[in-house]
Amino acid sequence: MSKEYSVLGKSEIKVDSLEKVLGTAKYAGDYDMPGMLYGGVFRSTVPHAYIKKLNLEKARKMPGVACVLDHTAIPGINRFGIIIKDEPCLVDDKVRRYGDAIAVVAAETKEILAEALEAIEVEYEEIEPIFTIERALEEDSPKIHGDSNIHATKHLEHGDVDGAFEKFDVIVEHEYSTHRLSHMFIEPDAGVAYIDENGMLTVVASTQNPHYDRGEVAKMLGVPTNRVRVKQATTGGGFGGKLDIGVQLHCALLTYYTKKPVKIVRGRKESTTVSSKRHPMVMKAKTGATKDGKILVTDIFQYGDTGAYASYGPAVIGRSPVHAAGPYDVPNVRVHAVFTYTNNPMSGAFRGFGVPQAAVVHEGQMNAIAEKLNMSQFDIRMINAQTVGCTLPTGQKLTESVGFKDTLTLAMEKAREVMDFSEGEL
Amino acid sequence: MIKRGHGIGCMFYGVGNTGLPNPAAAFVEVLADATANVMIGAADIGQGIATVSAAIAAETLGLDYIDIHVTSADTLTTPEGGATSASRQTFITGNAVKNACLNARKELEKTAAEFLNCTEEELVFECHEIYSNKDETKKMTYAELMGSMGKLGRLAVGAGYYNPNTTYLDPNDMSGIPYEIYSYATTICEVDVNTETGEVDVRKVVSAHDVGTPVNTAAVEGQIEGGVVMGEGFVLFENIEVDKRTGAIKNPEFSKYIIPTTMDVPEIYPIVVSSDGDAGPYGAKGVGEPALIPMIPAVTAAVEDALGVKFRKLPILAADIVAAVKEKEAREKEEAENK
Repeated sequence: MSKEYSVLGKSEIKVDSLEKVLGTAKYAGDYDMPGMLYGGVFRSTVPHAYIKKLNLEKARKMPGVACVLDHTAIPGINRFGIIIKDEPCLVDDKVRRYGDAIAVVAAETKEILAEALEAIEVEYEEIEPIFTIERALEEDSPKIHGDSNIHATKHLEHGDVDGAFEKFDVIVEHEYSTHRLSHMFIEPDAGVAYIDENGMLTVVASTQNPHYDRGEVAKMLGVPTNRVRVKQATTGGGFGGKLDIGVQLHCALLTYYTKKPVKIVRGRKESTTVSSKRHPMVMKAKTGATKDGKILVTDIFQYGDTGAYASYGPAVIGRSPVHAAGPYDVPNVRVHAVFTYTNNPMSGAFRGFGVPQAAVVHEGQMNAIAEKLNMSQFDIRMINAQTVGCTLPTGQKLTESVGFKDTLTLAMEKAREVMDFSEGEL
Repeated sequence: MIKRGHGIGCMFYGVGNTGLPNPAAAFVEVLADATANVMIGAADIGQGIATVSAAIAAETLGLDYIDIHVTSADTLTTPEGGATSASRQTFITGNAVKNACLNARKELEKTAAEFLNCTEEELVFECHEIYSNKDETKKMTYAELMGSMGKLGRLAVGAGYYNPNTTYLDPNDMSGIPYEIYSYATTICEVDVNTETGEVDVRKVVSAHDVGTPVNTAAVEGQIEGGVVMGEGFVLFENIEVDKRTGAIKNPEFSKYIIPTTMDVPEIYPIVVSSDGDAGPYGAKGVGEPALIPMIPAVTAAVEDALGVKFRKLPILAADIVAAVKEKEAREKEEAENK
């Protein structure tokens, strides 16, 4: 880059550094307002069940309890979700996972809140839970949403995959799997709702998407979008785990009824249990190359478990196939992806949206081809690296800003300088 | 026995949502004392979009970084920003901030051109100075410009947004333009593996990232370092276990869900790579997720190289390593006996 900038490229101190270093940054859990109530959620302890009976009366009668609500209290729409609206604010038909929200409570102190949550009684009629993709796909399995457990399928097809498999010199075929992970953002989900001096229902929360949150709160309460304000509090990390609605709907609903500020702070256990997880995936790949190491063709199956609700599943299954062949110029690519619902923890957005999983496969295959051809891991990447002018598996032509080969050569140069390659290079 | 290994991992990452519109907007107002307020909808969760927006606004308006105050992620005072996800905010909100600033500059350019008796096109706004690129004697300070604006009753306000240039993907074969721009990266990793305990010491990591144009170089390096450590945890420590009867997460706490500590952080050599392009604001692309991704295959390959065993099922926990080593030894012994 030859351009000279007066500000860009310098290492100015981040605008939010000082408050964080001094410990004065105000996180949602730090809010304390006059008359503020403490909110909490009564959650399911079974993975898949109809609710036969729900008894809120004991909790309601406790001194210091301001409000106990179930789904019947929701004035607007009891379904939310960033892409597919399939998750209830409070369960109305059935429980789909351990930790589903069934009732909410607001109380004067944290202690009373804990006692009130203990006093709620529920009776379930359990349904067979589904914990594997295989069981989810079987015809006789119970259906978690609607009449199919298939959350989504995607098919990418580019070039002549079957034809190309007749021309290869070497072929590698392997199965890969990646696991379920948690974001473990340092600040658990938290928020406070209140009605401001102009009558505006306001939610201050730890979030990655306040404008989306605003829309969901307004729909749930049945009020116009411009009558709700969502303000992001200083947020202690997210990594995708704060893209779904956290405590915002429950705080807002309790404030709507009590007219008082209501704060909900999830404990670590509740936060990890309820927030989204990385999609566990099973992937099968067959890749063919010429004897010179040029990748000709790759054919990949991707199976993913999106858990009880869609969350960002549609974004993951949309992104993973188009990245499946990696940063390489592969003329023939086929990817078939199937994601299922299960009664496992909800999978959603997590730094990379299915590309980390895809990368495990394209890099594994690359190394397997290199090994077969007795080539170095570096060389095979240089041979196949995308450059300006390449056509991607989507048919898109790259026209600018493709610095891949530079990353390869600069990384290798530095590695030779700082690492010990006495037993051979990559 | 301690065995050393090396691995390489690469990735590309489409910036923004896949084949979908995903706009973000910004507002800007330049004030009489030559400072500016920038309002963005984007949430800063520590990744630094407020910092990036301040730098882009300062660059575009010709002010200093410290002259910009950024308000973010408040639906009452900031416009739609979309999600802080998909490594999209530097690219999309960054472009929105640039567009808002260019709109705010219109009244400033008109006023400066009148004052300096030149055309608006030849004006350069840089470091509190406005000058003609044809005649450098024609110049004025920002303070003078804002004084003129005040006398003329003109305000420098701008709104702008950006929606990446993409298409919906074909439902049959996913053809189309899913993203306007892609980030690229290569990570190389060196590990020492203890074959008896299964412990992996990630010694050194080089991670090179094509970010187009770095907006804040230290912030890019910070992202890369964080991503490397998260990738280490992804492969070697972290794993959510689910109870097969209740569906409950068995290890929801830090005491049972193990993430890397500062003691696990390797020597990291971040390399910030530039590439030419016009799509991003001054050519900038995202690095938030790319920072993580290539470390995952790199550390996996390094462990494989150290042991001569393939791991195609993640994670690779200490117990998996010990089991793999034993299996390999048994296999080798059997092979030797057969000979």
